Amino acid sequence: MEDMMNDRIGQLVDYIMKKCLWQFHSRSWDREKQNEGILTKTMQLLCGEPVETGTPTDKCYWVDAVCLADAFKTRYLWLATMDKAEIKLLMQGLKDRMDYLTITGSLNEELNDPHY
Amino acid sequence: MPYHEFKCSKCIPERKKHAVIKGAGEDLTSALPLGYLNTIPGSISERGCAYCGAKHVIGTPMKDVIHMSHGPVGCTYDTWQTKRYISDNDNFQLKYTYATDMKEKHIIFGAEKLLKQNIIEAFKAFPNIKRMTLYQTCASALIGDDINAIAQEVMDEMPDVDIFVCNSPGFGGPSQSGGHHKINIAWINQKVGNVEPKITSDYVINYVGEYNIQGDQEVMVDYFKRMGIQVLSTFTGNGSYDDLRAMHRAHLNVLECARSAEYICNELKVRYGTPRLDIDGFGFEPLSASLRKVGLFFGIEDRAQAIIDEETARWKPELDWYKERLKGKKVCLWPGGSKLWHWAHVIHEEMGVEVVSVYTKFGHQGDMEKGISRCEEGALAIDDPNELEGIEAMEMLKPDIIFTGKRPGEVAKKLRIPYLNAHAYHNGPWKGYEGWVRFARDIYNAIYSPIHQLAFVDISKDEISSDTKFLTQKMISDVNLSEEVTSSSELREYTGKYDSLAKLRGKTYPDLTSPKQSAAV
Repeated sequence: MEDMMNDRIGQLVDYIMKKCLWQFHSRSWDREKQNEGILTKTMQLLCGEPVETGTPTDKCYWVDAVCLADAFKTRYLWLATMDKAEIKLLMQGLKDRMDYLTITGSLNEELNDPHY
Repeated sequence: MPYHEFKCSKCIPERKKHAVIKGAGEDLTSALPLGYLNTIPGSISERGCAYCGAKHVIGTPMKDVIHMSHGPVGCTYDTWQTKRYISDNDNFQLKYTYATDMKEKHIIFGAEKLLKQNIIEAFKAFPNIKRMTLYQTCASALIGDDINAIAQEVMDEMPDVDIFVCNSPGFGGPSQSGGHHKINIAWINQKVGNVEPKITSDYVINYVGEYNIQGDQEVMVDYFKRMGIQVLSTFTGNGSYDDLRAMHRAHLNVLECARSAEYICNELKVRYGTPRLDIDGFGFEPLSASLRKVGLFFGIEDRAQAIIDEETARWKPELDWYKERLKGKKVCLWPGGSKLWHWAHVIHEEMGVEVVSVYTKFGHQGDMEKGISRCEEGALAIDDPNELEGIEAMEMLKPDIIFTGKRPGEVAKKLRIPYLNAHAYHNGPWKGYEGWVRFARDIYNAIYSPIHQLAFVDISKDEISSDTKFLTQKMISDVNLSEEVTSSSELREYTGKYDSLAKLRGKTYPDLTSPKQSAAV
């Protein structure tokens, strides 16, 4: 079961790394906000929950989240077989993995530069 | 860490950490070269200087401006005239280039008088141009000329002119990227917020990190206008000085080249709350996703979808004609900064080529993160390569074509490998749907050029067969293709015009007033 979840997370990570740019902002704090904002909204869209789009920044996260959720649903048909709780678990695993690859485990020495 | 050590660089051991080969199962936490560091002494870098990065990449594409270098004439002349950052005002900024022509005597006695005289002379020579950008160089920076004070003196004496000062001398960073940073920050500090623009749409963007190489900007702005979006400014290709002073009024910053222009987007977000949306203007799928995102942001995604459908139907059969003929060809993708990640995955997916190596002259580790993520396993990634490393890589990888700048490109040609100019293009624009087909056509023409085939023959020693006949490109490219492909009624070669921009200039657009504006009227 855990293997299957890891395999699925790996597929989603591969998609993001190949097709998206939002995960590679230049500083750690930016990447934390991007990962949190976009992946949380993607999870909400996949679970049919309401999504906050009140501020321009929220709207920008939502735009990337809509495209990501659509791509996930089109490419990974196994998503349709999962219930809400499973999707939330999957997306939390995805967020943890993205945080590791782009922030905590990243070899990019510029991430903690205090200025842009 | 899967570092790759070049034989030619064994004598420069620090170079080892600047190249990696992405192996099976490896990710960014195990495969990432160093980047954006000072070039190691002894390694003959292909980089440009910080002055070049500020002026020639970012400042000078602004179209209605006198761009003056305060320094020796060579600083401006030797690098600017080969750029293809065109504009729709008869290429004013390309036709004329200005330097104060500092000599040895000015190093001793100072060159501030000379600078003031040059500024006034330039404005008088072009009385319709009232804007100037002024660049520090190594020579004027080292003697301490106060160019800000001189610019202010002139503005006080000539109230109808405005001057932007950029303090980015050549030594001001490890590479041209240091200059990108400096001019981004200088522009927002000095000029943004100084002009209030006329807003004509509910959907207002700044198009940032776009330099109108052979018309890229005009292609993209056409799409935005067809969606009813006002492009308030372009930073900076084909952009107007005063429009760029009004960047603070846009609703969204649409960012193309994050390497050169993310700084101003980040600062616009911090200072004015304008969000940053990163897009890809190259390739059918990434471009379609980008237009859709901009449409979604404003709630007009149906307009984006209409453009996507129309353009894809028109140009996809032509892209696929080239894809059939480029499948499996090996590419070294060796641009300056952002194109390594803009192109790495999409030329593989949409043109069928194999990217065997990526490199960046001045990119940061963030650019390598994007590029390595997007290319396939086994690709060699190199940061700030020197010429010998480039030669060794080409001999090892045996690519069919190189996408790079003109200096390493000429080296590739000597090794009998065709190259395309990744910075200035061959027959661009390469952005947009039609542009992407033009890029595929340029690749095809380079790889299958009958003239290039002759380069493989050494007439000094090879036997030349007397029954060798002249072959056309198609005879060479189609020899192993199936009948189904060669006689396809769906696929076709590029059918656009030699000048793909003419139809855009002077084009009128439908009035796409938003429902909100209509109700107000």
